[in-house]
Amino acid sequence: MNRPPPDTAPVLIIGAGPAGLAAAHELVRQDVHPVVLEKGDKAGGIARTEVYRGYRFDIGGHRFFTKNDAVMKLWQTVLDQGFITVHRISRIYYDGRFLDYPLNFFNALTRMGATESLFILLSYLRSQIRPYPEEETFEQWVSNRFGRRLYGKFFAPYTAKLWGMPCDRIPADWARQRIKGLSLMAALSHALFGNQKAKSLIHEFHYPEKGPGMMWEAFCEKIAEKGGHVRFDTKVMGLNHTNRRITGVKCMEGDRTFEMPVEHLISSMPLDKLIAMLDHHRVVPAGVSKAANSMSHRGLILVVLILDKDALFPDQWIYIHGPGFKVGRIQNFKNWSPAMVPDPHRTSLGMEYFCNEGDRLSSMSDEALSAVAASELARLGLAEKNQVIDTFVVRQPDAYPVYTSGYEKRLKVIGDFLDGFENLQTIGRNGMHRYNNMDHSMQTGILAARNVLGADHDLWAVNEEAEYLEEDASVSPRRTLTEKMILQSFAGMDKSALGIALGTVSGLLFFVATLWLVIKGGEVVGPNLQLLSQYFFGYTVSVKGAFIAFFYGFLWGFLFGWFFAYLRNLLVALHLFRVRKKAERLSLRDFVDHI
Amino acid sequence: MKKIVEPVTHETDEITGYVLRLNVKILGLVLALLFGSAIFVATNWLIIKGGEPVGPHLQLLSQYFPGYRVTFGGSLIGFIYGAALGGFAGGLLGWIYNGIVMLKRGEKNSA
Repeated sequence: MNRPPPDTAPVLIIGAGPAGLAAAHELVRQDVHPVVLEKGDKAGGIARTEVYRGYRFDIGGHRFFTKNDAVMKLWQTVLDQGFITVHRISRIYYDGRFLDYPLNFFNALTRMGATESLFILLSYLRSQIRPYPEEETFEQWVSNRFGRRLYGKFFAPYTAKLWGMPCDRIPADWARQRIKGLSLMAALSHALFGNQKAKSLIHEFHYPEKGPGMMWEAFCEKIAEKGGHVRFDTKVMGLNHTNRRITGVKCMEGDRTFEMPVEHLISSMPLDKLIAMLDHHRVVPAGVSKAANSMSHRGLILVVLILDKDALFPDQWIYIHGPGFKVGRIQNFKNWSPAMVPDPHRTSLGMEYFCNEGDRLSSMSDEALSAVAASELARLGLAEKNQVIDTFVVRQPDAYPVYTSGYEKRLKVIGDFLDGFENLQTIGRNGMHRYNNMDHSMQTGILAARNVLGADHDLWAVNEEAEYLEEDASVSPRRTLTEKMILQSFAGMDKSALGIALGTVSGLLFFVATLWLVIKGGEVVGPNLQLLSQYFFGYTVSVKGAFIAFFYGFLWGFLFGWFFAYLRNLLVALHLFRVRKKAERLSLRDFVDHI
Repeated sequence: MKKIVEPVTHETDEITGYVLRLNVKILGLVLALLFGSAIFVATNWLIIKGGEPVGPHLQLLSQYFPGYRVTFGGSLIGFIYGAALGGFAGGLLGWIYNGIVMLKRGEKNSA
């Protein structure tokens, strides 16, 4: 029997996206009963699964892969048997050709042609020899890693299409945050002890059989089973606060408005909207309001095309890099999971268009958008226009937080202001204005819930510090030991110290050897050791000669030790360089996935 | 304003910026085994090769290693002498090296 949702709760969570649900789930596990307020009619936020006439589709495809074992375990526990493993197939449409993605050397060479490939290679070499000395923009960051030609032809048009601005206006920090890759320490560890996880993450992924919605429904069930509530179709209209404490949340459910008192508030709503909610008494400083108002988001329009064809192409998705097309990415939901379509003889495609509120694309009617999508699909040669038998359009505002120049400062202003509220935490992609994937968003939710229970986690450290909580606690001692071994193995050798030490030891050996024979005496003292004078000019087997031998022994020992340490350090540095480049290549292989 | 080399240098420094310390005991042990084995093998090699006289030049080691001869028994004695010398030289080498490193980094000798 469904219990009516209460109008009071110790913890209120705004938004039933992955972060909000993860927070609620963590709380009910600890016997705290939160209420989640969701303005939509289904859970999942921008990772939800929509359904139209039995066709299921994501708002953008959502792979379930993570380096975080705890999040992976949580997904598997909640969904139980619902996951399928999907072998990834994806391509990039570039200049009239389809290239395998992640890039395959021979495929790229044959599709791009020898001349273009040569230019790209030369440009890459140039970027390695003479990179941009400073990396302030996305353009510089990418060019330094891929070469300017590949950047200009390949990445610039797609990135500009996705973010709606030229790449020289996107700060390099954004790329740094998105493309974490492997740390040098991790790369060395993998090189020494082997690790296939990073590679396999690129080539296959988990996916709920009926789309991510299945996962969020399972989360809602688990939350409800343990006394929590998810209130759908409930809009947050305002936040009441006194003395830097949130006291109540004004809600609207249908026509009914009411206020829910609150002990702790966890919000995943976009920061600009949160600040606006707090500002109904004009208490927010002007600088904070200004910073919040300049935080922008990129919207997504998904035009679903249903085609009377059982198979079109094998990819789960195709990136469309050509500037001549408005579509940025095409999803083939049937290839994510056959259960995403009700009729195996038909195919549903999701044509993704990126837009800003009020721009030309977002102002187009559903019919016009459908017509553009069908036309572009035909121009790409993927299907005929007349194969499209039905269309459906989903508009998702605030899909991607936009990183523009100075966003970090603005974010800090907002963060500092919100930190002043003792019972408020913000989580998730929009709640923190950070382009996190599901796993990191959920992590912020889990940590926020633990903070409510008394912990003191820094949510901003998630996905900022590469290793933050990405490992099982039991692994840490082993990791520390591994790091110690690596540090010891690859640490630099002090050249002069080794030179002096070896010089002293060898000098002393010659000194003692000479003096020993002098002390022993005899008719002819040390005729054989005397042969050293061939190399040590002025040397004799005498007391004076012992000092000369010490000098020569020290000199040669020093030179040998110094050069030994120099060569050893050089070879270690070359090895580190090779390992770092390999790690960089690995982390950049699926670069476009992170844009 | 961030420079391209910053993250890389930072990470590389984390590893190569750490100065290697020598383990005095292990270095002493390794050089002891190395020196001792070298004399043992060199002596027995000449014995196997034979000739008259056997190893007159190696026999000169007896100037420093009393009791040493180019015989199997001598090779065992040579092993002991060599090991003692190697152990001492290795230990001294490691001790001086670590001492200089610590001195340069302004650390107190905790060894």
